[in-house]
Amino acid sequence: MEIEIQLTDQPIAEKFLPPTQLGVVGAWLEFRGVVRGEENGQTIRALEYEAYPEMAGREIRRLLQEISARHPCRAAKVIHRVGVIPVGETAIYVGVASPHRGEAIALLAEFMDRLKQDVPIWKRRAIADGADSVGRVTPCAPVEVRLPSSGGQGTARPTLKSLDEALAEIRSHSRPLPAVRTPLAEALGSVLRETICAPEDLPPVDRSTRDGYAIRADDASKTFSVVDTIHAADWKPRQLKTGEAVRVATGAALPCKGLRVVMQEHVERDGDKLHVVRRENSTNVRLRSEEVRQGQPLVSAGTKLHAGALAILATVGNVNPLVSPRLRILHFTTGDEIVPPDKTPKPGQIRDSNSILIRGLLQNFPCDVEQGHLPEDFERAKSAISNQQSAIGNADVLLVSGGASVGEKDFTRALLEQLGFGIVFSQINLRPGRPLIFGVNGSRVAFGLPGNPLSHFVCFHFAVATALAGLTGGQPPKFFRGQLAEKLDDKPYPRETLWPARWEWRVGQTFLSASSGDFPVACADNANTGQECPANQQTGMSALHLLAWASSGDITCLAAANALIRVPANCAGLSNGAKVDFLPLAAMIGGGL
Amino acid sequence: MRVLFFAQLKDATGCNAVDLAAASPLNTPQLWTELVQRFPALAAHRPNVRLARNWEYAAPDAIFADNDEVALLPPVSGG
Repeated sequence: MEIEIQLTDQPIAEKFLPPTQLGVVGAWLEFRGVVRGEENGQTIRALEYEAYPEMAGREIRRLLQEISARHPCRAAKVIHRVGVIPVGETAIYVGVASPHRGEAIALLAEFMDRLKQDVPIWKRRAIADGADSVGRVTPCAPVEVRLPSSGGQGTARPTLKSLDEALAEIRSHSRPLPAVRTPLAEALGSVLRETICAPEDLPPVDRSTRDGYAIRADDASKTFSVVDTIHAADWKPRQLKTGEAVRVATGAALPCKGLRVVMQEHVERDGDKLHVVRRENSTNVRLRSEEVRQGQPLVSAGTKLHAGALAILATVGNVNPLVSPRLRILHFTTGDEIVPPDKTPKPGQIRDSNSILIRGLLQNFPCDVEQGHLPEDFERAKSAISNQQSAIGNADVLLVSGGASVGEKDFTRALLEQLGFGIVFSQINLRPGRPLIFGVNGSRVAFGLPGNPLSHFVCFHFAVATALAGLTGGQPPKFFRGQLAEKLDDKPYPRETLWPARWEWRVGQTFLSASSGDFPVACADNANTGQECPANQQTGMSALHLLAWASSGDITCLAAANALIRVPANCAGLSNGAKVDFLPLAAMIGGGL
Repeated sequence: MRVLFFAQLKDATGCNAVDLAAASPLNTPQLWTELVQRFPALAAHRPNVRLARNWEYAAPDAIFADNDEVALLPPVSGG
């Protein structure tokens, strides 16, 4: 049976076409479970669902396979929506195709019963018409739950978010865009949105690891007759008898189970006769399923597909994985003082460094970037963007780099509102990057980035990268624990600071650069668990060198920065060796961590 | 091992997940002892919670090792 499973936090499409090319399909049965307007006798306006996605997908597949053994069907498609689902919208869609209606109806009925018993998905809370939560699984602390925005009418909230609050807002508004099937060759860097399991054992048959002669493992003969030759691509099953040998190449599929391979260096051959001179302990056989058993997860949903993961997908023939879509990103610079980098600025003007900075930072994400410049006059800017309405309407992410001049913040904010974005916040309690603006319009997000290059750099890495991870369904940037390699002398500052730094690995007194190839893997794993790396000298420690910067206009520190350190508000300095949280900058280190 | 909490268990523990450092693999009662010690509020949920190990429901005699992903699943309510 062909099975397609999706968990999504987007609305489920109104209509699906029945599967084609499945041969004798006479019945296409569809079921939609929709959210009722009532829960425990109270009127509600939405339910919030939660899932354990990795396991839910597997359970759904397991149930379908088990039930279809009794009620054979050709294909099933199951989509379960999670997150906040308004009343009247579809929470689950099931489509079943079968030769006759009986099997499809039986499978669907049993599947829905079993789903409600076994698949790890929960109605997390009901959202009442009033403000309070009700529902059968709801005794939980009031957590802010927002219905998906229906358009541009976002509400402005109190400003000056803390860094953590800002990140939480960005995460909650940047929801995964619908996944798409993408050819392997175009999937590099995309986020895998389904867990890929082994469709068969790997290797699927016993294989030779040597050029030599396959004989029965229990055959103690000294002399053999060579009865066949098997090259790497051959498939010639046969039962070997005692005294028989088959010439095999490295990688060749062995003709039956229970064989060993004698290396060609350890035999003397005379025509069809073979004399074994020496036997090693090793069987020189890579056994079936030695690497992976059928059904075992190979690459998990949420993995950013790197070359290695793509190679695994290719190995199992998954040539069109379900991945995050290529993001469409539109970036405008603003400000009349900006001139292109190839022009000589007049007094009062500066060269545009932000366009190339943003373009470079986005290299780490599969996306199509369009860039443009807007005049500083609002009316002229409005008319410039009205010529680009379709590009703006199509963009998943809109980035506006402010100029450095007075009033540009209001300009960017007004511009985003003009374009239908609701402003979620327009200031954060952070340096650099205080005037960061974040807006949403449906599933689309927009940032107004403060114009100074260092602010740009910082805001991209913590804010924009978090949104891009959310939209693609990938892992958001994460802070790790590290140690200062020198002391920080700073005047107490009333806002939290993200301090540009150079991150290296220190083992004993030796600093290892992350790019030197000496990076200790065991400790990197440890860091990935979010745990503090042991400060023990053998295993090493993330060491952070502070980079000098005086204002958000400084740019020289960008030459070396590959990390941002969190320095708490009102901190008068930190000693050498102090433990700090830092954000490694994947884009600056070369790939993901 | 990584232990994940879902639905109301997030409220009971106040977190989504916890890293449990176990010196040796744990059987089911040992795992529960560790967890309840850390999150006493879990005790009340124990009769209704099913355990999963590496994305599959765990058998009662399952052993949970250091590199396992363990999940505590309260009664499900999807669909």
